[in-house]
Amino acid sequence: MELLPQALADGVMLGAIYIIIAIAFSLVYGVMHVIDFAVGEWIMLGAFAGFHLNQRTHVDPFLLLPVVFVGFAALGYVLQPLIQRVLSGHKGNPLLMGLVFTFGLSLMFRGLAQTFFGFYSHSTPSRFSTGSFFFEKGGFFLTVSSVRLAGLVYAVVITGVLQWLLKHTDFGLGVRALAQHKDSAGLMGVNDRRTNAFVYAIYVGISAMTGVLIGTILSVSAKMGPEYTIFAFFVVVLAGMGYLAGVPAAAFLLGIIQSVFLVYLDPGYTLLAVFAVLYLILLVSPTGLFRKGV
Amino acid sequence: MNDRRLLGSIAVFVALLLLPLAVHDTFFLRVATEAIMWVGLAVAFDVLAGYTGYLNFGHSAFFGVGAYTTAILMMRAGWPFPAAAGAGGLVAAAAAVVAGLPTLRLRGAYFAIATWALSRAVQQLALMSSLTGGPDGMRLTAYLQPRFFYWVMLGVVGATFFLLWFLLERAPFGLKLKAIREDEQGAKALGLNPTRLKVQAFVLSAVPTAVLGGVFAYWVTFIDPDSTLGDLVSDQALVMVVFGGMGTLLGPVVGAVLIFAFKTVFWAYLAEYEVLYVIILGAVIALSVVFLPNGVLGTLRRRGAVRRPGSGAPALTTPPAAEAGAAAGKGAA
Amino acid sequence: MTEPILKVQNVSKAFGGLMAVSDVSFEVQPGEIVGLIGPNGAGKTTLFNVVSGYYAPTRGKVVFRGEDVSGMPPYALAPRGIGRTFQVVKPFAGLSVLENIVIASFLKHPRRADAEAHAWRVLELIGLADRADVPAASLTLAGRKRLEIGKALALEPVFLLLDEVVAGLNPTEVDRTIELILQLRARGMTILIVEHIMRVIMRISDRLVVLNFGEKIADGAPAEVAREPAVIQAYLGESAA
Repeated sequence: MELLPQALADGVMLGAIYIIIAIAFSLVYGVMHVIDFAVGEWIMLGAFAGFHLNQRTHVDPFLLLPVVFVGFAALGYVLQPLIQRVLSGHKGNPLLMGLVFTFGLSLMFRGLAQTFFGFYSHSTPSRFSTGSFFFEKGGFFLTVSSVRLAGLVYAVVITGVLQWLLKHTDFGLGVRALAQHKDSAGLMGVNDRRTNAFVYAIYVGISAMTGVLIGTILSVSAKMGPEYTIFAFFVVVLAGMGYLAGVPAAAFLLGIIQSVFLVYLDPGYTLLAVFAVLYLILLVSPTGLFRKGV
Repeated sequence: MNDRRLLGSIAVFVALLLLPLAVHDTFFLRVATEAIMWVGLAVAFDVLAGYTGYLNFGHSAFFGVGAYTTAILMMRAGWPFPAAAGAGGLVAAAAAVVAGLPTLRLRGAYFAIATWALSRAVQQLALMSSLTGGPDGMRLTAYLQPRFFYWVMLGVVGATFFLLWFLLERAPFGLKLKAIREDEQGAKALGLNPTRLKVQAFVLSAVPTAVLGGVFAYWVTFIDPDSTLGDLVSDQALVMVVFGGMGTLLGPVVGAVLIFAFKTVFWAYLAEYEVLYVIILGAVIALSVVFLPNGVLGTLRRRGAVRRPGSGAPALTTPPAAEAGAAAGKGAA
Repeated sequence: MTEPILKVQNVSKAFGGLMAVSDVSFEVQPGEIVGLIGPNGAGKTTLFNVVSGYYAPTRGKVVFRGEDVSGMPPYALAPRGIGRTFQVVKPFAGLSVLENIVIASFLKHPRRADAEAHAWRVLELIGLADRADVPAASLTLAGRKRLEIGKALALEPVFLLLDEVVAGLNPTEVDRTIELILQLRARGMTILIVEHIMRVIMRISDRLVVLNFGEKIADGAPAEVAREPAVIQAYLGESAA
């Protein structure tokens, strides 16, 4: 019982990171109408980028974040037209084919990662890795590791930036217009191809950056991708598809579930638990926790 | 698929049936048995994927459920093989209904990830449970009769193929599924209940897969979570269907044969590069989506190698019937 | 006095805080063509969706042929005799024109051979028999709109909901569609039609129901309704085209 506040705190901090992934993932879906199966692989690739850059340059991963973002965003920007081509080339079911395409990509990325990075898992060291804050109150102990706290700060900052971008810039206006009504937005001068490319670039960049962080807080391995794809999906569906305001609650729930299993039970059961929760909630409320989904 | 192709398929089936009488090489028989199994898995996958438009990334879960049910019933409860394999099919049917009802409400793309998560969860379960032997897997009593397994595999796949041919190409069911695929909301206005149809398709996809899993278990005598519940079964089925041509029965057959041939050659010469195999699978999927939107079969059809009107209008009716129809239809609306 | 085929009783439909349709009541007699008009956003399509089962009414009842069908899904209403078209026309794009109609024919003709024979008859009626094997995606807008009507007709409905079936068509095509609608009425079909093109709706409707901001503001013969001040005001002074 003394461990509960710890588990909760850890879960909340973990959840903060999932919020970022879920928001970026939803954004891409909302604008491009494609579910990127490879989201976990972008995270994985980012994590490896962070790890190897840190190994080579000994620069703290937190300082590497902008570098990773720019590099991956550029990659995403270049890749996006290909995805666009897939989506517009299918009379029948572009959404489904987009998913199949990104699934193919995810297989390739995972295979390539295993080829170049091997099968072992690593952890990216950071100056925050060893610090922690210690609280004690009335029999409850709480250790907040600095690195997780830094992760929380990162999440808050990025959410703030995204919020600003979406609500207070012309670019953001264009994005929201596209998400709501693709054809009309085009007629009003929103260059949908370029906006799409930028949105995808930002999404890839954010995912990779988040990967760097995950590599520092948790670990990096070539096989870590699928778990995060499932987590991203879990958060988005639980929040209610298309209902961004529900994301934080769902993300925190996921973080707490994961944390609780780490502390109290066998982490191997985490995925089972996640799926069980998802299944039960879908059974009761198919439109998500808040019944506001599409 | 018209009657000429059906006749052709029956001819091929009969030829395959007689094959072991002419060819005695056991290695060849084993390769053929596996090839036939993959044809079955791909066709079953396409029921939900190509016809209904829902990708079940947890296809391997059904395969594994069938394999493990058969193994457990045979080894721990002493059931005979046919009953055990059949039970595997029933368990899978029940699982499809239970898993399908909430998840099929999600749109196609989300359903894909949900089933993917489910199959990983099932794999976890098998790894942790003592009933399934955990990571060490299970051994079945060896029954080394290559011809027996060849014929059983062929029988199951043949039955599946022809049953699906009837249900999907002859009976209304196939067209109804395609309607769901094309426009689920609009289909409702025509009296179609999407959830019921989707669950039916899901069950239809699950049962043959599970039975094949059961046959596989008895055939290879050793199963573990990795070989039967891992991603590879789902991934390969997906490649075969996307590469071969979705929404048809022959597309998955073509895809299965080609990909299986590639797989066999690859593992014979490049077994050290197993990671490369996954990369190639991924590349084939991605490239097929971009360059072969209708799969190999669809592209061949479009090029005129195989003539086909529209998108496969039933060959039963030809325009002259319209004249008779118009005469009879004066009072109808 | 015959029993109305459709009775919409105090139907309201709210989406969160927005009241799209508010306490609307009207009746449709068998064999009538009733036009549902109103400015953009008046709630016409929402009302259609309620009557055809896509939305459940937040309040009120929909009674069809004496049966309370409020909240029943569309696939329960089709067998009861309701057919509808959609404003944004969506044929089953990957299938042929014939296959599109055949699928609709399965409702009353469960056997494939019957369904196909029926489908051919419908194709003749809507004039698409010569393009039966063509992929539906390659039809022109006019063709698609006709296919849309054909699919609804193949259900052999007694009550047809037409949602802007002539929008975007050229005058010849519009006239052809009007002719088809009148033909259907002559055979006993009851029709509820939403339309923006005034000359069409004034010409074919026996009665008009006018919505504005989700409320019914007029209900009666076209000529009278067109003169009502509330209606004129709703359209900001637009006269019948």
